[in-house]
Amino acid sequence: MKEILQKHKQYLLTGVSYVIPFIACGGILLAFSIALAPMTSTGPDFSRAPAFVNDMKTIGALAFQLFPAVLAGFISYGMAGKPGLVPGIIGGFITGMPQTVDGKSASAGFLGAIVIGLVAGHVTNLLKKLKVPAMVRPIMPIIIIPIFSALPVGALMLALDMPIAKVMVDMGLFLQQLQAGSQIVLAMVLGAMIAFDMGGPVNKAAFFFGAAMIQQQNYSIMGACAAAICTPPLGLGLATLLNRKRWTEEQRESGLAALGMGMIGITEGAIPFAAADPLRVIPTIMFGSMIAATIAMVGGVGDHAPHGGPIVLPVVDHRLMYIVAIVSGATVTAITMNLVKKLTEKKPATTGGAA
Amino acid sequence: MKLVAVTACPTGIAHTYMAAEQLEKTARKLGHEIKVETQGAMGIENELSQGEIDAAAAVILATDIAIEKPERFDQKRKIEIPVQAVLKNPEAVFAKI
Repeated sequence: MKEILQKHKQYLLTGVSYVIPFIACGGILLAFSIALAPMTSTGPDFSRAPAFVNDMKTIGALAFQLFPAVLAGFISYGMAGKPGLVPGIIGGFITGMPQTVDGKSASAGFLGAIVIGLVAGHVTNLLKKLKVPAMVRPIMPIIIIPIFSALPVGALMLALDMPIAKVMVDMGLFLQQLQAGSQIVLAMVLGAMIAFDMGGPVNKAAFFFGAAMIQQQNYSIMGACAAAICTPPLGLGLATLLNRKRWTEEQRESGLAALGMGMIGITEGAIPFAAADPLRVIPTIMFGSMIAATIAMVGGVGDHAPHGGPIVLPVVDHRLMYIVAIVSGATVTAITMNLVKKLTEKKPATTGGAA
Repeated sequence: MKLVAVTACPTGIAHTYMAAEQLEKTARKLGHEIKVETQGAMGIENELSQGEIDAAAAVILATDIAIEKPERFDQKRKIEIPVQAVLKNPEAVFAKI
């Protein structure tokens, strides 16, 4: 059972790895087109914007529209190889089609894409296993499998489209209606997840939730993640600068590398520290990232790109609060880290004593 | 011992390359010869040739996602592990060979 879950996680992550550049392209182009269009009291006015700004908006929106198709297609591809692409992409495309739920335009989005991608992969794998006469074998991959996988998968998705879109709408409403208190809880959980394994599966789960919400036009989840993402490496790098005596020569060097990685939003920069001293480092960076995420969430920071760190500043809403969140998170991490080291490192000297 | 490996993580910008470096470093330390192919966000880099794969005693697949061209390794003995395992304890990975 555990192995089956493990495999399915791998399939999902395969899809995610192909779709991330699409979200980046769509999110960043849309954010820039909004920034460049003349702003009015009712939002950006694209009718008065130059043609290339409108092009940017169109291309960015298209990249987003492709998102469910690419996600489902490559989840299915991860499971069933090449033949998985047809049912996956078609099912995912249906998922992405806008439709009307409670009078509002919505789509089954990433949730639908995950479901239908997995179904498409399983259906394709079943068809691949069919024993057929040698005469029919050549037409299996070019006629039989594409048609007989796409047909049931597509039909299933057409049936599921409405109910899943409704779930997506409800989820969006739920996130929007979260009161300040629960928003803080959400931000704290996201921050802790981001820092916990520094780019591993737990971090990716939080990250992908944020990235998927960008496509649903909810940018604050990614905003909180973006601030939390860069806090561990920046905070630890800062810690090595603040109190050089506490760190070895090698750690001070990793500290500089960590600062560089933090600036471009790579949480992994914290790994050399965490690997050497996990029990002290991981709780500390989780604490720092929780603070950064919470400040970002409360400050209304939104991030239009599926990436974190100071490098995404140009596509962030409420930039000042974003900087405040990162600086606070990193400073808290650095001070806590040095304090924890100071308090606990005396212990080896008093081995056996009643410390 | 001659070995080949493939590393691939979901985002493909950091862990993939860190794991590759770790494998190379540890192999050198333990006296093995290794070539590591990375399948990151840039696609396949440092691609393994069929000759290199045939000559290897085993294949280390440190991957969190389905890799490209897996059929190259059909006939080989494979050690399949998550990327994280390489970063945490690379020597344990080589002990499995």
